[in-house]
Amino acid sequence: MSFKDEEQRLKDDNQEEEAVNTEEDSDPDEFEDEETTRNLVVPGEILTTDTKTYLPGRGTILSQDRSKIISLNIGLKQTKKNYINVIPLRGFYTPRPGDKVLALVIDKNPVKYRCDINAKDDAILKPKNTMKRGRISRGMRGGPPDRDNSNAEMYDIGDILIAKIVSADRLNAPELTTVGKYLGKKNNGIVISIDPPKIPRVIGRDGSMIKNLKNLTKSTIFVTQNGRIWLKGEDIAHERLLIDAIRKIEREAHTVGLTDRMVDYIENEKKKRGLK
Amino acid sequence: MPLVINDEYPEKLFRDDGKRLDGRDKTELRPIKMEVGVIENADGSAYLEWGNNKIYAAVYGPREVHPHHLAKPDSGILRVFYRMTTYSVFERKRPAPGRREKEISMVITDCLKPLLFLELYPGTSFEVFIEVMDADGGTRCAATTVAALALADAGIPMKSLVTAVAVGKIDNELVVDLSGIEDKAGQADLPCAITWFNEELSLLQFDGDMNLEEMEEFLSLAKSALSDIYEIQLAALKKKYIDIQEEVSGGNS
Repeated sequence: MSFKDEEQRLKDDNQEEEAVNTEEDSDPDEFEDEETTRNLVVPGEILTTDTKTYLPGRGTILSQDRSKIISLNIGLKQTKKNYINVIPLRGFYTPRPGDKVLALVIDKNPVKYRCDINAKDDAILKPKNTMKRGRISRGMRGGPPDRDNSNAEMYDIGDILIAKIVSADRLNAPELTTVGKYLGKKNNGIVISIDPPKIPRVIGRDGSMIKNLKNLTKSTIFVTQNGRIWLKGEDIAHERLLIDAIRKIEREAHTVGLTDRMVDYIENEKKKRGLK
Repeated sequence: MPLVINDEYPEKLFRDDGKRLDGRDKTELRPIKMEVGVIENADGSAYLEWGNNKIYAAVYGPREVHPHHLAKPDSGILRVFYRMTTYSVFERKRPAPGRREKEISMVITDCLKPLLFLELYPGTSFEVFIEVMDADGGTRCAATTVAALALADAGIPMKSLVTAVAVGKIDNELVVDLSGIEDKAGQADLPCAITWFNEELSLLQFDGDMNLEEMEEFLSLAKSALSDIYEIQLAALKKKYIDIQEEVSGGNS
């Protein structure tokens, strides 16, 4: 039992506390407008022929003769100012710098870890990005660097990490860092995966949905952009309820009035299952 | 008792009342049923019943290319695997992919490629697996139709859907949507596919004999049949979500 272990344990405890308060940063306006949520469109559908007033936004394209805006995805049509967007209902995760992701360490060697982040490429985590700069422990009185705790030993294959994407583009493998607030290894809890485009719905407007989920099931949730959710409840029954609730959100992501419906659902289920 | 399959084709492909052997009019389609999201572990999937054809399609991607030398540095690749099960035809089909299957995989790939933005995903592959469970004429058209549905279900950005149908000539009459027996015993067979964003032909194959005037007529016949099938495609794609919407709103009221 060294000083370092103690420090690590303290750090972990802190993380738990902090994770409770996490409101994930995301595009807050997704799935917002109540009346647009009903407009289901499919690829190739003409959204408007009025190209003078409207501009093609996300998930849309201008036709070749510039006479109409067509949808590229199966999703919900949304008009915002003079942009027409299509919010996709299915899709894959594309890493962007700054995203927080749940990563699974799948390979390790002295120069890098390889992590599965649910994207087309495996992400790379370099040991220099796992440690704060200039914080090499030097023993008690500024002695030589502690060689025993090599950086490469920090994580093991199979570890679940909360990481931030430092760099990502179309060509190269994304790079991760675990230095920062809330970031690091998760030692407990459950990880579930949902469709990445439905993540904004789990968070809700200004985090309203996730706040409800947390309060009603008394659990800790960490939602990440790559479609994975880390959660930990009081006991297994609460965790099961939470997972069922998230699955329900995923299934009904395109419907209106979901937040209110979820509150009712959780209250009912709690009575049914005999939870407090 | 072994099942004896008569290998001879009937002399006439029209009944006395002027209908075709399966009771259809000349421009009538076989009954079509489509469904999306049938395969849980695929990124996108679709199932199609078109007359006696039964076809599954599954889409995976974007993902790494294996073997790696096929990957292109400047664009993604689309790979289509059209396969027939051994029991899909009367005489057992040998399970190894034959020349015909490779050709159909190739034409479907070329047919679907203009829909996708492959240049946005360099070094990756989109893979479409089409498995024909039961075959009865026009499987390449049915496979193209169901592949487009599966791609849309996977949430891959695409310009529009693609729809395919076969038109042909039997007993000197022009007909739409050839069945297996009409395909074999008929005079001409013309599978064609259309991409809806520019309404251009994306697949056109031809076998048999006809003249140019008939060709024009063929294409106009195909066009109207294709729009009918397109409607079914759109409905199938939306049904998955509309069902849930209705279930939810019904529960509230």
